[in-house]
Amino acid sequence: MKLGRRHFLHGAAGTLVALPMLDSLQVNAQPAAPPKRLVLMYTPNGTIQDAWWPKNVTSPTAFDLNTIHAPLESHKSRLTFLGGVDLAVTGVGPGGPHQRGIGSLFTGRELQVGQFLDGCGRAAGWANGISVDQRIAAEVGASVPIKSLELAARSTQADVQARISYAGPGSPLPPTNTPLEVYNRLFSRLDVPVNVAAQVIARRKSVLDSVQQQYAILKAQVSSHDAEKLEKHLSLVRDLESRLSASAGGGAICAKPMPPLSQDPEGEPEMPEIVRLHFEFLALAFACDLTRVGSLQISTALNRIRYPWLGSLGNGHTLSHSGDSDTAANTEIVTRHTWHSQMLAHFLDSLAAIAEGEGSALDNTLLVWGSEVSKGNLHTLTNMPWVIAGTLGSRIPGGRYLQFNGAPHSQLLLSLLHAFDVADNSFGHPDYASGELPGLLT
Amino acid sequence: MRLPLAPLTVPLLGTWLVASGCQKGSPDDASGPKTEPAVIAFADCQAGPVPGDAPLRLLTRRAYDNSVADILGDVGNASAAFPPENQLLGFNTSAEAHQASPLLVSEMLSAAEGIAERTVATKLDQVAPCASGATMDCGAEFVREIGRKLFRRPLVAAEELVFLRLFTEALEQNSYANAISVALQAMLQAPQFLYRVESIRPPLVESGPQLLGPYEIATRLSYFLTESAPDDTLLEAAAQNALGTRDELEMQARRLLQLPHARSMVANFHAQWLGTEELGRVIREQAGVTPPANFGSLLQASLAGYMDAAFWEKGTFENLFSSDEIFLDAKLAPFFGHAATREGFSAVSEPTQRFGLLTQPALMVALAHPNQTAPVFRGVFLRQHFLCNEVPPPPPTVNAVAPEPDPKATTRERFRQHTESPVCASCHTLIDPVGFGFENYDQFGRFRTEENGLPVDASGALNDLPETSLNGPFSGPAELAQRISQSTSARDCLATQWYRFAAGRAETAADRCSLRPIQAEFQASGALPEVPLKIALSDAFRYRPPYVLNGGVKP
Repeated sequence: MKLGRRHFLHGAAGTLVALPMLDSLQVNAQPAAPPKRLVLMYTPNGTIQDAWWPKNVTSPTAFDLNTIHAPLESHKSRLTFLGGVDLAVTGVGPGGPHQRGIGSLFTGRELQVGQFLDGCGRAAGWANGISVDQRIAAEVGASVPIKSLELAARSTQADVQARISYAGPGSPLPPTNTPLEVYNRLFSRLDVPVNVAAQVIARRKSVLDSVQQQYAILKAQVSSHDAEKLEKHLSLVRDLESRLSASAGGGAICAKPMPPLSQDPEGEPEMPEIVRLHFEFLALAFACDLTRVGSLQISTALNRIRYPWLGSLGNGHTLSHSGDSDTAANTEIVTRHTWHSQMLAHFLDSLAAIAEGEGSALDNTLLVWGSEVSKGNLHTLTNMPWVIAGTLGSRIPGGRYLQFNGAPHSQLLLSLLHAFDVADNSFGHPDYASGELPGLLT
Repeated sequence: MRLPLAPLTVPLLGTWLVASGCQKGSPDDASGPKTEPAVIAFADCQAGPVPGDAPLRLLTRRAYDNSVADILGDVGNASAAFPPENQLLGFNTSAEAHQASPLLVSEMLSAAEGIAERTVATKLDQVAPCASGATMDCGAEFVREIGRKLFRRPLVAAEELVFLRLFTEALEQNSYANAISVALQAMLQAPQFLYRVESIRPPLVESGPQLLGPYEIATRLSYFLTESAPDDTLLEAAAQNALGTRDELEMQARRLLQLPHARSMVANFHAQWLGTEELGRVIREQAGVTPPANFGSLLQASLAGYMDAAFWEKGTFENLFSSDEIFLDAKLAPFFGHAATREGFSAVSEPTQRFGLLTQPALMVALAHPNQTAPVFRGVFLRQHFLCNEVPPPPPTVNAVAPEPDPKATTRERFRQHTESPVCASCHTLIDPVGFGFENYDQFGRFRTEENGLPVDASGALNDLPETSLNGPFSGPAELAQRISQSTSARDCLATQWYRFAAGRAETAADRCSLRPIQAEFQASGALPEVPLKIALSDAFRYRPPYVLNGGVKP
């Protein structure tokens, strides 16, 4: 059974409440064509191949899900596994394998030179290009209150290993690690009466107008180098202002969740709740059409974290270095990824419960899950563990396990752009750009 | 007085980043403005001030919060939702790395609203009194007065007009308090508040180094030494144009260094320099060993106590690297074998076990793996952080993983491959023999003489350092610490680290004229508190290079 958006409820979560219909939330009717949405998901340190890739494969469409993806069984027809896609671009530029991998993952670019150290003293800077979510957000997210929502769990450090989304070369987008901050940003003013909301918007516009005038005054007094920096900041202020009206007229009928408790973003016991809330808020943000592009980074490669709620007490990075024959360590890694799948399954369930057009929000959402290495113990950057969830209508038919035999992942990134009708001819490093992944899109 | 620059006492290579063109922020950085000559001969320093680059800097979260607290009395941790500053060279004050993002801009809007709403709700009478009831006049007075504090200078007419117009419009529709709130929201998001601005003034065509204006010097001084906006005294000195001479500047700098904010600033510098900000949630483990709860946070406090005493009380470089004290509280003391009867953190002497900063428990724990010591981390850290000596990274093909702990061997034995394989040895002879000098300290920072029942060998060697008197074998941590405590390049390096923190960028060739005299004085005095002071008094701090006005057009 599909519920209308205003009745959005999440059974397992227990934190959502259906609100009475509010004036401010029904300004517009549901948009004619449902919006398309993209989510990037990242988990660190690669995977255990034998538990990740589909098994009993008899054809690209006949296979069984493996242990890690078992929680996604009910969504199997929406999953596409991409075998044999490499992070070829990591062959150039500085940095250690974890840095190169994560920098290139969604940008298709090498790293800039810089001063971030990995655990072994290797240095690098930020990725040298825009990430695919931001390119897509520029197209699908122009009219919504928030261009894109960067979320993370236990990724609080400010370096290349804690960023997957980039506005441009050397311009990483910092994620929010704390659900309360996400809540405040998304929902704190969602249920204010329509006349008050209009006042808030009017006030913010006049304030930001004054701020923009100050930028104009100041820019005439500084060097061209400094003026560039001010211009960049000013363009962000302009963007913020241009989206203010959208926050009242976004038109979705949606429910406001209960505010979460304040949490230590690096707290070990808090982590499962943080991941769950991030997914829940992202689904709600989609339901309310507050944003159409999101990303979720679930910790970083070198942060040595444990998952005690699963009984997994090894340190993540150390575990990933265990040998192939170390079954105890490998089991811990599989257990963690299976839990990631479980969280993902809840998210997909949430989207499926949001009625949209003839179907649900899930029909109009694409999620791409990747990691910065494929095998942690060898730091392999080939045959990356890519899986896509969602079909964007029938743009990417699901239920497939495709083999690409060493294709550079810039082909995947370009295919994603095309799936969202972004007509670019290439994406990422020009030396590694060679069209779409053949056969991924219909 | 300009200090003599010759004779040089140390080789240059050890202190300046080699201009390899491969490090962002280095002298060859292509992103920086092209205003300085590529090479500065030392003779040029005598001809007049040669300031390094002075790019526009965005306030850090700490500077934002301090400013708001000091100016408006709002101590609500307003920047809590701002994303953390990107760091460069270990410091979050970087002009290039710390940049605006959509999240930051959005959260700055929310923060400004929160601050303004709290301010008018709780202290309107202090911040924007209006006993006369002439609200227009009161609003204008508010804009001028709070604007002067937030912008760190009197507003120019055009700036004032923009805020007044906003205030007036709001007043037409709303209460006085509401109009004040709206004006304040705009002021808190204005670039003149968020950025530390040093504007180009008439005649607009600049040739040669520019002495900063009094308000600009006041701003540099206060944001460096107190990480906050200039206080009333400093603004008054700027208004009187009483910051132009070195003596005037020194008087103010010494005053600021007495303030509580300065103590916090020094602690902040130490935490960033020593990389212990992430230590709070550290996990260290070994069968049968149970460190006290919140071990990492306690160690941070322990090191902060040590650094605070070393900087403010003992005050010398030599003591910093040779003291036998560690700071313990009632929770840490039993773990390190001392009586628990103490309140707060206090010093304990361990004469045969501790040898200054290098052997502090917090540092030894931070530079360790969860289940074992980390000679490589320790060796690299000593060279990079204390000697400013860059160690070449391992080749990308090397899979660098610490060997698993072996109950039958010492750490040293397990790392032997590093120095036996010729490929590894080329770099690891620079690193491991340094790190082995700390083998007396386990992953919990405790002193040990045995590992797995085998005696610990903490002998090692310093190799291939530009300061040749450092090189050669040592018998253990005592001798290693002794050598660093007497090292000229370690003194230069500490001054360099302070300089990076203060300038918000890597040192460049142009900075030599300012940095070298600071280093030379520090070599002679060894006085730690003199380093930030002398940076504040340097030409680099009082001048900036000439810039071309944006677009090259006169307004």
